[in-house]
Parts: sequence; structure tokens; C-alpha cells
Amino acid sequence: MSETITITIDGKECTCEKGEYLYDVAKRNGIFIPVFCRHDAFEDHRACCRICIVEVEEGGRSKVVTSCVYPVERECNVQTRSEKIMEERSVIMALLAHRAPEAASFKPMVGRVGTVETDRLVTLDGEKCILCALCVQACNSLGTGAISTVNRGTEKMIDTPYGKESAACVGCLSCANVCPTGAIEYSEDDAVRTIWNREFELIRCGECGQIMGTRDSLALAAGNNEVPAVCDECRKKHMADEMMATYRYV
Amino acid sequence: MINGTDKILVCCGTSCIANGALDVADAIEAELRARNLGESVEVQVTRTGCSGECEQGPIVRLMPRDTMYYRVKVADAAAIVDSLEGELATKLLYKRDGETYEHMDDNPFYALQHKVVLKDVGIIDPLSLDDYRARGGYEGLKKALEMTPEQIIDEVEKSGLRGKGGAGFPTGRKWRSAASYDEWPHYIVCNGDEGDPGAFMDGSTMEGSPHAVIEGMIIGALAICAEEGVLYIRDEYALARDHIQHAIDDAYAAGILGESIMGTKHKLDLSIVRGGGAFVCGESTALMASIEGRVGEPRAKYIRSVQRGLFDHPTVLNNVETLASIPTILREGAEAYARIGTEGSKGTKVFAMVGKVKHTGLVEVPMGTTLRTLIYDIGGGIIDDRPFKAIQTGGPSGGCIPESLLDLPVDFDTLTEYGAMMGSGGMIVMDDRSCMVEVARYYVDFLCEESCGKCTPCREGLRQMRAILTDICEGRGKPGDIELLERICHTMEDASLCALGRTAANPVLTTIKFFRDEYEAHINDKTCPAGVCAKLTQFAIEADVCTGCGMCSRACPAGAIAGERKQAHVIDPAKCIACGSCREACRFNAVLTERRPA
Ligand SMILES: Cc1cc2nc3c(=O)[nH]c(=O)nc-3n(C[C@H](O)[C@H](O)[C@H](O)COP(=O)(O)O)c2cc1C
Ligand code: SF4
Ligand code: FES
Repeated sequence: MSETITITIDGKECTCEKGEYLYDVAKRNGIFIPVFCRHDAFEDHRACCRICIVEVEEGGRSKVVTSCVYPVERECNVQTRSEKIMEERSVIMALLAHRAPEAASFKPMVGRVGTVETDRLVTLDGEKCILCALCVQACNSLGTGAISTVNRGTEKMIDTPYGKESAACVGCLSCANVCPTGAIEYSEDDAVRTIWNREFELIRCGECGQIMGTRDSLALAAGNNEVPAVCDECRKKHMADEMMATYRYV
Repeated sequence: MINGTDKILVCCGTSCIANGALDVADAIEAELRARNLGESVEVQVTRTGCSGECEQGPIVRLMPRDTMYYRVKVADAAAIVDSLEGELATKLLYKRDGETYEHMDDNPFYALQHKVVLKDVGIIDPLSLDDYRARGGYEGLKKALEMTPEQIIDEVEKSGLRGKGGAGFPTGRKWRSAASYDEWPHYIVCNGDEGDPGAFMDGSTMEGSPHAVIEGMIIGALAICAEEGVLYIRDEYALARDHIQHAIDDAYAAGILGESIMGTKHKLDLSIVRGGGAFVCGESTALMASIEGRVGEPRAKYIRSVQRGLFDHPTVLNNVETLASIPTILREGAEAYARIGTEGSKGTKVFAMVGKVKHTGLVEVPMGTTLRTLIYDIGGGIIDDRPFKAIQTGGPSGGCIPESLLDLPVDFDTLTEYGAMMGSGGMIVMDDRSCMVEVARYYVDFLCEESCGKCTPCREGLRQMRAILTDICEGRGKPGDIELLERICHTMEDASLCALGRTAANPVLTTIKFFRDEYEAHINDKTCPAGVCAKLTQFAIEADVCTGCGMCSRACPAGAIAGERKQAHVIDPAKCIACGSCREACRFNAVLTERRPA
């Protein structure tokens, strides 16, 4: 049986279960907290972007925590827009925006979260990646684990092991699809998809001709290494047609 | 009279070996054989056990009379053997400020020290379990085996021992907390990662007294009912790893580790894991990830390791020095330990003092000793009696402390109040020829490579700070840079994921706080007052002072200095690379620094 706790977020009373993450409580109550490295699809959160910081006052002491992984354990008073939080969030936003100047999806967030007006910060030319590593989480959750963060410190980046083509990769695009900034590059022609330095054969539906995916990803999804002949849509349509035919005779 | 108990100890710590200690030991042995004394005098080459005062090595000590000889050479072997019976080899004795010292404890470098952790280091052969036992080793464990876990924890709590890895968390409380979780197994882990640049406290302890660390771990394991423990040792520390492994093997063979600890029903297995090779791997969650075989990255969590640590089980992680203090606390009692130190910080602390201080080395002093005592009384002051400028404590997490604060007692809490940190014990003494902006830049640069790079404030904050500090050092600083640095620093302090990022601002913030004028001189006047930053500095020779000795021209790597013997020398600014070698080489203070024209 879980315990219910009442907390205050920006003056609003919110009830939650003990252990629930602060961000989830705020969201349920319509209170906006920016997040970059947190995704509903995953249970664990890396808590690495740090944009979701809020101030928590507990037992007379105030501290800055990352709301996406902060479990509510007792009554507390939370401020998501205190002067301190707004200042530090805008510094983090400025740091991210200078790291990834080409991350187009970021521009509206800069306006919403705030930034530091200065010409003294260096930019990484052409960079789009903010290192939220959602792509790594996506890849791991499929069980492929083809990419990870590599290197340390300021040289950290996302890559396949040793930057070589990865045998584990199936070319499914889960990483590129989850990426909030479009940083993962890939290309496609009629028959081949290229991603993470590797080429994948594209399989088309035997019926409608739509691209179904790469051979490797279809085999992985099927589980038995067999690639389906038609796409899901066509298969469903077939089934419906068959049923129609059957029922007509009954 | 020479009798069977005479011993000649030859320090063979890393530094003494580099200075020829092994040859010295051979020469002494040859001399003894030549005089047929080989049987009655034992030459003991303490394979490590750094005696502390490295730069005076090789050090030879005659026991039991306790005569210490310094800077011993092969040619001194005869004089040393002579002195077993006859006259002291006075020229090898320690001299300082006109005084000569025969015994170790009279020497001011040692007189003010108080050795608990290092009490056997430099005295015993670290590879000998018997040596360790002869000086009370494993007596503390014997006592612990007669106590309940509760009683052991009470004793450690009463001693006031706080973790020496930097944070100063009360050890007894940590143990009690881990012991309270009813989820099995529990683990004990020793943090021997020691990644601070310039630090060698834990390495020397593991090399010089490995059984003390192991005994501490066994006692800790008894307290929290752990049956498995890991020593995580920095990858570069091959000798420490060897000695620890040797001690573990001996302890198994002697029935101290394994299925039955000293014949009791308690058991414990210990093993070594090699460090991941980055400073960040010393951080508790990164260290545990590394032991588990994952990338050495800290984990964001609000649950502590005592509850969910290694393999998600209750885990006690303690520093080498913390654990090596435990046997003495058990053996001598908590009260005795608590009598040393200050109200809030009990016991002793080991420091690795390096830099521009006359006597560098490893020292252990009671908590609360002032920086002034450390630098001037123990360290003998600044080399060439130049003006003191700052002391850096706590490495990349610590700060630079100015002259005005030298009378502060060094303990866990005092330096923190001033934005610095005692840290794990690294201390770098700096004279007036150190640039504080450059020092800040050095630590930021270090962390750019040695952090994990997982979270934004630390990774990107360090990147930006490195760029700004480099600009300042190279004359491209702009008004507003100091304030921008401060904004980044404060965000890093609050919002970084782990303590590396949260403390990474300290070298920057303390240098801004205590040496702001130096930042301003770089930014506004494009000068480096200390004459360090090459883009802002040029060197010149004062003709009246120069004696024409030629030391500078020999030291100059760029061949920029010309001059006849006994005539004033001249530096060609076009060739000068502003490395400062001439200034270091000149014994007459004839080399001046000037602002380099833009
Ligand atoms: C970046 C970083 C590096 C650290 N490196 C070490 C280290 O090398 N050795 C150590 O004992 N503690 C180190 N610590 C502190 C440990 O996380 C931990 O607090 C300590 O080992 C606990 O032991 P103690 O309570 O006995 O001090 C480090 C902390 C951080 C944040
Ligand atoms: S603060 Fe630095 S070292 Fe710690 S998790 Fe963040 S990037 Fe890694
Ligand atoms: S969303 Fe919380 S740290 Fe990234």
C-alpha cells in the first residue's frame, strides 16, 4: 500500500504517492518544467541534461535538485521558477545552445527557458547533439546496444564502439527517431539505408511496395530471423479480406 | 657495541630508489661482509615505506639507536658501518638552520608530526606480516572479534573518525547506516583511486603498510556483517597493488582472511579491482559502476550507497587512510584517538606537501594544525626564502588559500568556510612566481579530461571556463569575464550531477576571491604580474645586478641570451619564448619580468 503525500509546487497543493518523481507530479498538475534527457518511453532516467532543476525546501533547508529523478519522500515546498532556478537554468540553456548551435529544435526553448546574453561563449561548429543520450537508451531498450557514449569529459560523444561499423546495429532508426535535435544522420536510397557507418538492405512490401525496414531490423523484430513478405497494413488488409470471404459463406 | 639486534634500514620508496637507494643497500651489505659483520647486523631494505622526506633521500636509519642519515651515496657505506660503533658520520646527518639532528624525532620535519596511519610506514618491511604483527598489527582485529558489530560501530563513532577521502563523513555513522539495512549481502569497498594531481598519501600507505588497510577493512566488514570486500586501486599504482595482493595472500595463509577469520565463525574474502584510469572513477557511484564492469560514470540518484551501492546492495565505501586508522582506534581505544585533533575533526591527517616548499614529502599531523606550521615549521618555508603566495589544497575540488589565512587550522570544516577544502590531502605550495589565473586554468583543463562528461553544467561549463581562462592568460580577456565565470561556477555548484562538477568551481572561485586583482591585471592591463603567462610576459636582465655567471644562458632552451663571462648578459626579445627558465636559474635575482608589448 503506498503512502500519499501532499506537497506544494509553486504555491499549488499537489498530492502524490511517496517515491513518485517530482517532475511527474508537476506535469500531472499542469506545471511546466523543461526536460531534455527524460522520455516517457523509458523507466530509468539519465538525469544528465540538468535543465529540469527546481528548488526544494524540506525541513527548513533549501536545495537544488533535478526533478526528473527526485523522489518525493516527505512534505516539501517546491519552486520551479525561483530567481536562482531561472538564473541557473538560463546558464544551462546557454551552455547547451552553444554546444549544439545547429540544434534547430532548441531555438524555441531558448526563448522559453532563458539564456545568457554574451558573445564570450565558444560554439562547436556544426554540432547538433546535446548528449542527452536518449538514443543510447532507445538502442539499449531494444536489446541491441549498438551505440553508447564514448570518451570522457569535454570529448564525450555518442558513437559505435571505436567508431567502427557495429555488428549489433540493425539500422532500425530508433535512435534517430527519438533524438530531439535531429543529430543522428542517415541516408536512404531505393534499396539501401546508411547509418552509423554501415549500409543496410531495405526490404519492401511484396504487395504495396512500401519500405518495411531493413532486413536486419525486420529479422530482429520477427524474432525467428524470418523477414515478413508483406507490410503490416497489407497483412491486416489481407486478414480482413479473408474474413469477409469466410463470413460471406456462413 | 654491535649485537644481534642492530639493524640498518634503507628506505627504498619510489623516490629513494630513483636516487640510488638499492645501490646504497648493496654497498652497505658488501661493507658488512668485508668486515665479517654480515651475521650480527641485519641490513633491512624496506622495499618501500617512504620515510616521508623524499627529497633528502636516500635515507638510511640505524636501529635501535635511531640515527638518520640523509642523501646517502654508495661511497658513504664505510662511514656508515664505522658509525655503528664509532663516531657518527656527521656530514650525513640532517642539518637545518645551522642545527644538526641525529634522531628522526628531533628533526623538525618529523617532530611536529603525529603518526597513526603512517606509524609503521618506513619502519616495517611491508611484505612481512611478522613485521606488522611485531608492532601491534592485527591486535585491533583480535579485540573486534570479541565485540558485537554494534560495539565496534560504537567504538568507531566515539573516536570521532571522519572519512579522509575528502568529504569528511563520520565513519561510524556510515557503518551504522549500512548495517541497518536488512538486505543481503553487504559489501565493503576501499577507495584507493587517488586521482588528485600531486597526491600520494594513499599510494604510500598501501605500499608501506598494506596490512593496516586490510585490517581496517576486516574490522569494517565485521561491523556491517559483510563477507566480501573489494579494494579499488588506481591503475598506475602497480607497487601498491603488488603489496596489497601480497598482504592479502599472506593474510589468507595465516587464517586472517577466508572462511574463518582467526578461527572464528566470521568469514571475509577480499579482492583487488584495477581503477578505471580517470579522476572521476574515485567518485563513489562511478567507482561502483566501474567495479560492476560498466562505464565509470556517476549515477544520478537520491538514494545513498549505504542503502543501495555495489550491485544495488548496502555498501560501505571508505578511503584508504580512513581504513588504515581503524586498527589503531580499536587497539588503543576510541578515547586515545579522540584526544588528537580538534573538536569537530578528530585524529590525524596525512598530507602530501609539494611545490615551492623547502622540505617536500609526506607528513601526518593532528587535525587542526595550521597551514603556517605545515609550511614553515615542518616544511622549512619557501625555497630560496621567496615570498609565499598561496597554497592549493584539495586538488581540483579545493582552492587556493592566501597568506592572510595561513593561521587557519586545517580540518574538515574550517577551509570549507572560506571556499577551499582540506580535501584528501594534496597540498601544493606556491611562491610569488605562480600565476593564479594559470593555476585555475590548469585545474579546469585537468577536469576537462578527467570528468566523465555526462552532465551539461560540468562538461560544458568546464569547456567554456577553459576557453575564457585561456583567453585571459593569453591577453584576450574582456571586462565581464570574471562575472561570467562566476555565473558558470555557481550553476555548476548547484546543478552538476556529481561532486566532481559541484566542486570543480572551487579553484576558479577561490582564485577570483583572493586574487581578483591578478585577474583584473590580465584582463585590463594585459599583464601577468607573476611573470608566468608567456603571451603577456617578457624577461630582461638587470645589468647592474648581473654577475655574468652564465647560468641563465645555459638554462635558456631558445638560445636567446648572449653575454661574455663576467659581463652583464642580454636577452633577445625576438628569440625569447618567455618560459622563465632564466629566472629560475639566476641566483642573483637579476632577471626581471616586464609586460610584453602587444
Ligand atoms: C571526483 C571525485 C573523486 C574522488 N576520488 C577519491 C579518491 O581517489 N579516493 C577517495 O578515497 N575518495 C575519493 N572521492 C570521495 C569518494 O567519493 C568517497 O566520498 C570516499 O571514498 C568515501 O570514503 P571516506 O568516507 O572514508 O572518506 C572522490 C570524490 C569525487 C567526487
Ligand atoms: S559532474 Fe562532471 S563528472 Fe560528475 S557526472 Fe557530471 S560530467 Fe560527470
Ligand atoms: S530532464 Fe532531468 S536531468 Fe535532463
